[in-house]
Amino acid sequence: MADGAGGVAELFVSMGKWAVAPAPVLIRTLLGSCVGVVLYDRVAKMGGVAHVVLPDSRGDTALPGKYADTAIPAMIADFERMQGRKSQGRLVAKIVGGASMFQTTTPTLNIGKQNHDAVERILAARGIPILARELGGDAGRRLTLDTQTGTVSVRVPGGADYDI
Amino acid sequence: MSSDGHSLSPLQLRLLGTIFERGAEAGSRALTQWLGQAVHLTISEVDQVDITEVSGLLGPEEATVAVCAMSFSGRLDGQLLLVFSDAAGLALADMLLHQPSGTTIAWTELERSAACETANIVGCAYLNALSAHLPGGSAGQPETLIPGPPEFRHEFAASLLQFAVMEQASALERVLLIKTRFQAARADLDWVLLFVPTPHSLADLARSTA
Repeated sequence: MADGAGGVAELFVSMGKWAVAPAPVLIRTLLGSCVGVVLYDRVAKMGGVAHVVLPDSRGDTALPGKYADTAIPAMIADFERMQGRKSQGRLVAKIVGGASMFQTTTPTLNIGKQNHDAVERILAARGIPILARELGGDAGRRLTLDTQTGTVSVRVPGGADYDI
Repeated sequence: MSSDGHSLSPLQLRLLGTIFERGAEAGSRALTQWLGQAVHLTISEVDQVDITEVSGLLGPEEATVAVCAMSFSGRLDGQLLLVFSDAAGLALADMLLHQPSGTTIAWTELERSAACETANIVGCAYLNALSAHLPGGSAGQPETLIPGPPEFRHEFAASLLQFAVMEQASALERVLLIKTRFQAARADLDWVLLFVPTPHSLADLARSTA
């Protein structure tokens, strides 16, 4: 964990990883085709970001942060372990990313869209409401979660930060 | 070659490095002619990298880079990416326009076009040389590599790498990247050429170098 410009600790989440932290921490990730899943507990002021690469693990347990169906449960388990209680009914979500810069050689292989669909399905199944979505397009995005406020800000290359 | 058909042994990676040096030599000749000064391309890295380590391979993740992306198809499919820091890309425009370094300060249509033309020249030379030196593929496979038109983008370094490796990441835990660096006698060229095959083409490379 590093200190940011404002003296607030910052965590960077790499591709295929996740992080959960109590306030005050800024959690950041950079997204292309991957989807960033933000979970936030307003009461506990605790937040998490998963950097999901693919929708479905198909039983692969080597890199749980890589897949939507393993990363989201793993992140929720971290909330519950750190708080010592069930998170049901306490979490809200925001989702960001899923862009497509290149035409793939397989036209049906729109990973960004598949990731988005999988994340929506998994969050719905767990009853976690999605408060905001910033998805698609053809540019990368920088996502920052402020665990103090739950604010999620997004920046595209050459642009300014905006909240979603 | 490992049982998954995509992992390359150190020996295979060295062999690929030797083959790709041929592409780099052809790129050196083409770029030297295009820029009017000696430029030397060298293969700096041929490696399979864990996807969790990909984000930082072009330097700071949040740095904005300029990229000219060319797809290629034929014997192999994938992406060839000529990546510049902003300063290096703008210096290229000065070099091509015979202006003092520092004259160009923004990416207008002219600078973007100059960057894409440079990518086209070096990319075509590189791919033609690879076509000539790649070991034999499957029967009936086309032998040539056909480049697509380069496309200019400004992107976060980490996001660009994600876009580039996504097809490989969809099938593999580790992705193959072949990185070429540039050196010139009269200028510091902070450029990188990345060769990123699709999973299918990576399997082809693994088979043909086994």
